[in-house]
Amino acid sequence: MTVTVSACGLTLRYGAARALDDVSVRLGRGVTGLLGPNGAGKTTLLRVLATAVPADTGAFTVLGHDPGTARGRQEVRRALGYLPQTPGFHPDFTPFEFVDYVAILKELTDRAARHREVRRVLEQVGLGEVRGKRIKKLSGGMRQRVALAAALVGDPGFLVLDEPTVGLDPEQRLRFRELIADAGEDRTVLLSTHQTEDVAMLCHRVLVMAAGRIRFDGTPAELAARADGRVWSSTARDPGAKAGWRTGTGAFRNVGDPPEGADLLEPTLEDGYLLTLDDDLAEVTA
Amino acid sequence: MSWHVAEDELRAYARGDLAPPLLWSADTHLAGCARCRAVLAEAWDPGALRTSWERLDAELDAPRPGLFERLLTRLGVADHTARLLAATPVLRRSWLAAVSLLLVMSVLTAHGVHSDRLFLALAPLLPLAGVALSYGPALDPTYEIAVVSPVHGFRLLMIRTIAVLAAVLGLSGLATLALPGYGLGALGWLLPALALTATGLALTPRCGPVLAPSLVGGAWVALLLTAHAYQGGAGAPVPFTAVGQAVAAGVAALAAGLLFAVRDRFDQSPGGSV
Repeated sequence: MTVTVSACGLTLRYGAARALDDVSVRLGRGVTGLLGPNGAGKTTLLRVLATAVPADTGAFTVLGHDPGTARGRQEVRRALGYLPQTPGFHPDFTPFEFVDYVAILKELTDRAARHREVRRVLEQVGLGEVRGKRIKKLSGGMRQRVALAAALVGDPGFLVLDEPTVGLDPEQRLRFRELIADAGEDRTVLLSTHQTEDVAMLCHRVLVMAAGRIRFDGTPAELAARADGRVWSSTARDPGAKAGWRTGTGAFRNVGDPPEGADLLEPTLEDGYLLTLDDDLAEVTA
Repeated sequence: MSWHVAEDELRAYARGDLAPPLLWSADTHLAGCARCRAVLAEAWDPGALRTSWERLDAELDAPRPGLFERLLTRLGVADHTARLLAATPVLRRSWLAAVSLLLVMSVLTAHGVHSDRLFLALAPLLPLAGVALSYGPALDPTYEIAVVSPVHGFRLLMIRTIAVLAAVLGLSGLATLALPGYGLGALGWLLPALALTATGLALTPRCGPVLAPSLVGGAWVALLLTAHAYQGGAGAPVPFTAVGQAVAAGVAALAAGLLFAVRDRFDQSPGGSV
């Protein structure tokens, strides 16, 4: 793997709480998923890598540039596309005007070239037809696509996406997956999400965060494999299971440490994720 | 058509060298003028012509900038800077209308009670509030995107500050004209306005975008109340005397210097250890 983003020992405290606790990651081209419960530090890690906030300690590089210096930070920002968790808009702007505004912030000052680029990304996210409509009149899914277009404008090499599919209906999520997969063809994409299906469908690699630390770093198949032999079926909820629920067939799906002779099931990425968090919790409380 | 695009402008247009607003005029004119299109078609090579048609097609397809942006461009502001200014939250009509209303009310009060004190006290607070509302994580919806852009945060802050100052000081200046009976004394708000705005900005990296202007505004109100208590309404309040004005000028200069010294602190969100 050619490393494009490399971070070492990132730590960031908010008061007494450690939002990031000695985080080290190395990313390459393609889509890397970032999973974790609320408060795990995902958004903080993304904001640090996007140069929105400085870490207390640690260092990182993006495409060979060190954001620890003013010049390096500017180079990182030139190579960056960022979709924040709650993207804000100027509601009176149209998608064209908003993406044009972001393009100007990305130093695309030549008007004709900038407008070509704005048109290109709006077509790419499927908003060419509504580019002249006020953003306040667009649906939530369309607004997310406006934010994605703004992140893509200028053809950045490093794309940071913070929960871009939250609040979208299944059809919109599928559309977003296509767009993110396309974006990851020739870029480094870091995708924070709560949707394990998004990670299973999109990502060649997945990181799991909890309590400000990276708890897992590997492929989606390796994460799912953590639940090998730890998912089983039963006719009633197994009291020894760490999680269990009745499925559509009426049988219970249990995750945890199975009893002897249990009817084992094929694990999913979600099972591996749940067990990783649970093992992590046990480690913390032990 | 009563006019046609000049030949040298058409030549610049074909080369792609014509800048707004002349470019917009040429685009609009060419869309409706067969004669100018024919001149353009005869005079230049097909490659350049094709490029121009593509650009014309794209221009006609692009949304027209709003009135405010068009006005700025006519005044010579680069179109990309005009777009940055148009995104300044407090330059919306609703905020400018609220500022105008406050000024009109204070002027009417001055005429009613035969004293310009309320106007003098209020006018310096307006640019302070305007600048505070135009940049910061709590108040600018696109702050998070702006702060990670390669455009330096301080430059964006200055662009917006100048725009807000121009708008608010302009409105306050017009309001001052409605108080001719008070002479130059009615302009006593100007230096305190600059001092409060510069101090509020200089303290923002340390205190945050809400607390800093609140502290500065509160200090201004406290100063006026203290002056009133000591002077008992006799003579001009201290901040509007010659000494007060000199102090305001000094504070403005000092705060401007401090602001310049901490300019890099505007390049990232406040975060980290607290």
